[in-house]
Amino acid sequence: MNLKRSTKRHTVRIVLLLAISVITILVAASIGSAGIGLRDEVQILVDTLLGRPLSGQLNLISANILLNVRLPRVLTAFLVGMGLAISGTVMQSILKNPLASSYTLGVSSGASLGAAAVMMTGISIPLLKSLTMSFVGFLTGLLTVFLVIMFTYKLQQNLENQTIILVGMVVSLFMSAILTVFISLAQDHLEQIVFWQMGSFSGKGWDKVWLLLPVVVFVIFLLMGFHRELDVMTLGEEEAMTVGVDVKQVKLATISLATLLTALSVSIAGVIGFVDLIAPHVVRKFFGASHQWVLPASALFGGVLCVWADLVARVVLDARELPVGAVMALIGAPFFCYVYFSKQK
Amino acid sequence: MLQVKQVSVAFNQHKIIQNISFSLPYGHKLAILGPNGSGKTTLLRAIDHLIDYQGSIKLGGKEVREMKRAEIAGQIGLLKQMSTSYFPYTVKELVMQGRYRRLKGQFFGTVDRTDKEFVEKCLVATGFQDMQDRRIDSLSGGQLQRAFLAKTLAQDPKIILLDEPTNHLDIYYQLELLDYLNDWMADGEHAVIGVFHDINLALSFSKEMLFLKAGQIVNQGQFNQIVSGQFLEHVFNTDVLGYLRRNEKLWQTIK
Repeated sequence: MNLKRSTKRHTVRIVLLLAISVITILVAASIGSAGIGLRDEVQILVDTLLGRPLSGQLNLISANILLNVRLPRVLTAFLVGMGLAISGTVMQSILKNPLASSYTLGVSSGASLGAAAVMMTGISIPLLKSLTMSFVGFLTGLLTVFLVIMFTYKLQQNLENQTIILVGMVVSLFMSAILTVFISLAQDHLEQIVFWQMGSFSGKGWDKVWLLLPVVVFVIFLLMGFHRELDVMTLGEEEAMTVGVDVKQVKLATISLATLLTALSVSIAGVIGFVDLIAPHVVRKFFGASHQWVLPASALFGGVLCVWADLVARVVLDARELPVGAVMALIGAPFFCYVYFSKQK
Repeated sequence: MLQVKQVSVAFNQHKIIQNISFSLPYGHKLAILGPNGSGKTTLLRAIDHLIDYQGSIKLGGKEVREMKRAEIAGQIGLLKQMSTSYFPYTVKELVMQGRYRRLKGQFFGTVDRTDKEFVEKCLVATGFQDMQDRRIDSLSGGQLQRAFLAKTLAQDPKIILLDEPTNHLDIYYQLELLDYLNDWMADGEHAVIGVFHDINLALSFSKEMLFLKAGQIVNQGQFNQIVSGQFLEHVFNTDVLGYLRRNEKLWQTIK
């Protein structure tokens, strides 16, 4: 076996993952209380893309549900999954810790606090209106990680991994404590805040897709440019410095980009855990450790996982939806155990 | 040539090494010895500018602290005690990491023919030609250390620093590692500095020695000119020669 053969094998697997992603999106969009057959779905999509009227027997209501409700929701789930998974991959590698994620550095607690503040005060930024909560959540999520990095820098100019993680955990717990105090003082908003924290893709329209798509694609592209640095840094910072990596610069750039993706995802869909943890681990079992493959594969796998979790969340009960964060863990945990431990034998 | 002049390193005002000076021309090897805590590893880390130092460390006439990381990587390679990784790279992927300095200048870090050939050469030199697709977490301790040596060679540095790299290796692999480095140095354009615990192994590596104690140089020079039983006892606070000779008679009784 040589490098060319393994490149070929990994390319085939990426193409396979791409195909699985497309099929997942189509299948998920076709399933729901109003069933739309796959053939009809494809026909509706083709007709719409070509800008021609719907073919003969196709139902206008089905087309409306597909194009304005299901498809944007599924695509939002896919993009959020991509963002979270690639962010988790980067954090695990850069912090050389298989349990690390942006959440470790306080994105979710910061964003939750910001979103809760908007819910409780009812403020609305004139230009943003309904997007105010997402925007504030996004900013407070980013700000929290910025605080963590600045505080770590004050303690240690070389930004040691353990210190970043420790400061992240402390700040995260601190933010959660403030949130708990807020909730206990304003119980009227308890349900709203708790549901927001559980994560949901319900009612996500094309505006979210158009917001996510360019950012997720562009940031993934930028992070791919760091694949060599990420490879080297998984062996430790001194190893990386020895071969010529400017560790501090790379760390700041990659953590910022990964945080941007997580903060955006959380601000749009709430807190959805687990995908950032398991996607990179599962992908490494099939693609090895090289980030050239692990980054794109994690993104695709994360997207697929999120879409399936959302699908289960919305169809398993007739009357109401389950929180997608919980469903993700319910599907993800056994799947992760199966892949991780069966491949280890 | 490496020139180290009046180098000191302190952590929290506590001096770990003080006023270290020596020079090492290309084509030479230097063994650094001393008891635990004498500052051997700190000295190597200062030379590679992994930590800040006072004084001057020059490579080819240029101060190391003024060089960028990539520039230092082109001059100095560091092989530490056993490194491990949770992440399952193949041997070839690991060795390719040594080429980072060159790859980062290429579009999306693409590997070209020069890198491939260089890595291939390093893999062959370290005996990995038939195992380059083995995952590093499936290698034995000796093989893993050899893979890291291949990675250091792939970096193509002028000087290699060894930080007790033979710890945890059996005698066969210890000597094998030193043989690889001797071959690498044969062209007279490279140099190696090795930190050792084992005085016998240090002697197999180089007759040129530098002894450290409590962060300072006790003596440096050719082994037979500077070392005596009394000197070793002073450096290591124990009768080293007595220890080395303890089993001499027993060795003479076997074939």
